Amino acid sequence: MSGYLSFLARRLVGTVPVLLGISVIVFFLIHLVPGDPARTLLGVRATDEAVAALHARFGLDQPLWHQYLSFLGRLLHGNLGRSILYDTNVSELIATRLSATIWLLVAATVLALLISVPLAVLAASHRGRLADQIVRAVPLVGLGMPTFWVGIMLVLLLALKVHAFPVSGFGKTPAQHLSSVVLPGLTIALALSPILIRSLRTSMIGVLDSDYVVTARAKGLSHRRVILAHTLRNAAVSSITVLGVNIAYLVGSTLVVERVFALPGLGTMMLDAIFNRDFPVVQGVTLVFALMVVVINLLTDLAHAALDPRIELA
Amino acid sequence: MRKPLLALATAVLLLGATACADNGSTPSTSSSGATGGNLTIVRNADSVSMDNTMVFSNASIWVFQQMFESLYEVTPDGKDVKPLLAEGYKLSDDKLTWTFTLKQGVKFSTGAPMTSADVKFSLDKARATKGGWEFLDVAIKSVTAPDPSTVVIKTKYPWAPLLADLANFNNAVLPADYGGKSHDDFYKAPVGTGPFAWDHWNKGTELELKKNPTYWDAGKPSIDSVTWKVVPDDNARNLQIQGGQAQINENPPFSSIQQLQGQPGMKVDLFPSTKTDYILMNQKEKPFDDVHVRRAISYAIDREALVKTLLFGNGTPANSFLMPNVPFYDAKTPGITYDMAKAKEELAQSSVPNGFTTTFLASSGDSTDQALAQVLQSSLKELGITLKIQNVDPSAAHDLQDSQKYQISHSYWTMDIADPDELVTFAVDPSAGSRSFYTSYDNPQVIADTKKAEQTFDTAGRQVLYSAIQKQAADDAFLGFLYYSPFSYSYSTKVGGFQVYPTGNYHLEDVTLAQ
Repeated sequence: MSGYLSFLARRLVGTVPVLLGISVIVFFLIHLVPGDPARTLLGVRATDEAVAALHARFGLDQPLWHQYLSFLGRLLHGNLGRSILYDTNVSELIATRLSATIWLLVAATVLALLISVPLAVLAASHRGRLADQIVRAVPLVGLGMPTFWVGIMLVLLLALKVHAFPVSGFGKTPAQHLSSVVLPGLTIALALSPILIRSLRTSMIGVLDSDYVVTARAKGLSHRRVILAHTLRNAAVSSITVLGVNIAYLVGSTLVVERVFALPGLGTMMLDAIFNRDFPVVQGVTLVFALMVVVINLLTDLAHAALDPRIELA
Repeated sequence: MRKPLLALATAVLLLGATACADNGSTPSTSSSGATGGNLTIVRNADSVSMDNTMVFSNASIWVFQQMFESLYEVTPDGKDVKPLLAEGYKLSDDKLTWTFTLKQGVKFSTGAPMTSADVKFSLDKARATKGGWEFLDVAIKSVTAPDPSTVVIKTKYPWAPLLADLANFNNAVLPADYGGKSHDDFYKAPVGTGPFAWDHWNKGTELELKKNPTYWDAGKPSIDSVTWKVVPDDNARNLQIQGGQAQINENPPFSSIQQLQGQPGMKVDLFPSTKTDYILMNQKEKPFDDVHVRRAISYAIDREALVKTLLFGNGTPANSFLMPNVPFYDAKTPGITYDMAKAKEELAQSSVPNGFTTTFLASSGDSTDQALAQVLQSSLKELGITLKIQNVDPSAAHDLQDSQKYQISHSYWTMDIADPDELVTFAVDPSAGSRSFYTSYDNPQVIADTKKAEQTFDTAGRQVLYSAIQKQAADDAFLGFLYYSPFSYSYSTKVGGFQVYPTGNYHLEDVTLAQ
């Protein structure tokens, strides 16, 4: 247990320089692009005085390095600053948006597993036969279809024709949240599954050829037990890495799906903030995204360790 | 893990989610019959702030207009004003003192009665802003409240647009001293005399107002509440109307109008608007200081083609910088129309008879800018003008226009008041904040006529002046006037009484929602 804890502590400390680096890049990149949040906010008829007043209020009249240092200073106090566009604390804005993104990521992961694992098992245990061919071919179609199109098709079919799910939005209660994230989750899962199926199938086939599986079969274990208890568990180890990497990648690309399904998540907030040059929000959301990627990688490692007793975390 | 278990888990998840979907998709309906219901309006961007004296974003204005009311209001045709919180007025013989009588029995949504002290406080606050809408109130010298139902406004000079200015939302009546709150706290949960009262705002996501139970116009509003939800994707907004999750779709793109019109249970309206699109030519940059160059470019714009390609036929070419739904618009203004022969003639007389190379500043992702730039590029090629297209994102484009660091670009205008003065001052007066719509256009005769028109009360006299201004401005080709386009809305057939005024505002107290 103490091994776990010291592992966690070391990983979290290791995150700090990563986050710092990201914050530097994001901060200076967005300031490189021309555009003024004050002008955007105040509109076409704003006077120069009004713009100057807003600049002073948000410290935008200070030199860039000064702005960056005060951003870091606030960060040390856990303060992400104030949104220029909404005149609200960034942490408050993020808090209202974070839950939709997390719901979406969890739904996507669960649905991707529900689709991939049975299909990969089916394909691997029928290697080279018809079922295998189909499982290998059909999901590739899913990989080739653009996410936004898949999303719209799912809405047309399952929301407008069948009325099984809401068209889009997020609802107010947890039950409504759940029904709202099924279609967007499925959209992501359909894009994610082909990769997972392929990797899991390949590693299962590798395991199926190994000596201990031959032994298991020789000692008379049932096919099901060989597949589920011996093969799947061992094959899962490498697929978990694939899943982890892909979910981490998804964190940044939930944007399209959030837009199509009108989910009030962090992705859409990030896009709005970039367009409006709402610097504090861009910086805040980037940090949260970076943290999420770190946490997902951490969870991947923990899952690895849980599945494979040979892996020592400490 | 076993296979049946996995299948069971899938089934449970899907079934569970399906079962909840029904709660999610239909709004809860507490009352039955023709009244009640919760109206949901979907839009692509959120409000910015509720500060009616400072904010320029339409998405904010259309929301707080449901809570705030002014002494006067714009009539449905957008060309006149009528009393709202005022009963009427008397104007002194020297045309400098206006005495308003207030409507009796008006209450704020807190239940407190509205008095002249509230009006005085509100107008004084609106006049004192910097960088807000105070430019509408520059003529006001003083506001006094001699008794609870009388307000006296003195102007510095005779000022014809006063009633139109008072009808603007920046002059709406708020509780005196913000009801004891600070400015910032007040606008976090604002209070007005309007048909709807504040409920909540999840910034960037949704804003909800509820019915004001103490509204002075008995029996209104019919609906219980209204929610503006941010749904950035055009298609997702449309699907929400189809799925019954929302009732009104704000400004669906013109490209989708035809498809929307065919959908069952949906109505599409193109409300006459004051929206007018222009080509900006920066006279601080050569050769746009040359009137012949500006005219040549203006002649080279195929406006009919733009209406077809950009508006899908839903608009009309513009002949004046003023628009048909604003008073004193002159339909007879000889605006410049598409004529390549004349364009070549004008260019031949200019300082650059053999053409030149220039750059069009476009907002990336703005389909109007992209199409416009390309149409213009091919037209100007015939004149020997090479048009490069510089794509920057909207915020940067805005910034470059405002600081006049561009050569040629695109912009538009919508009117907020029922008087042309708001736009005329913005567009032709180089000393106003916008330096003549960011072009530095400076014609002393036009400026003098503008000042004169502001002080002329006689309608016929004002018409003569505004006709002259429109003619001269067209002749100077200071902007390329492009086209007039309507406000598009699609909405569920369950919605009744929904009308958008040419100024862009709508009155949700008149809207009904069938169950």
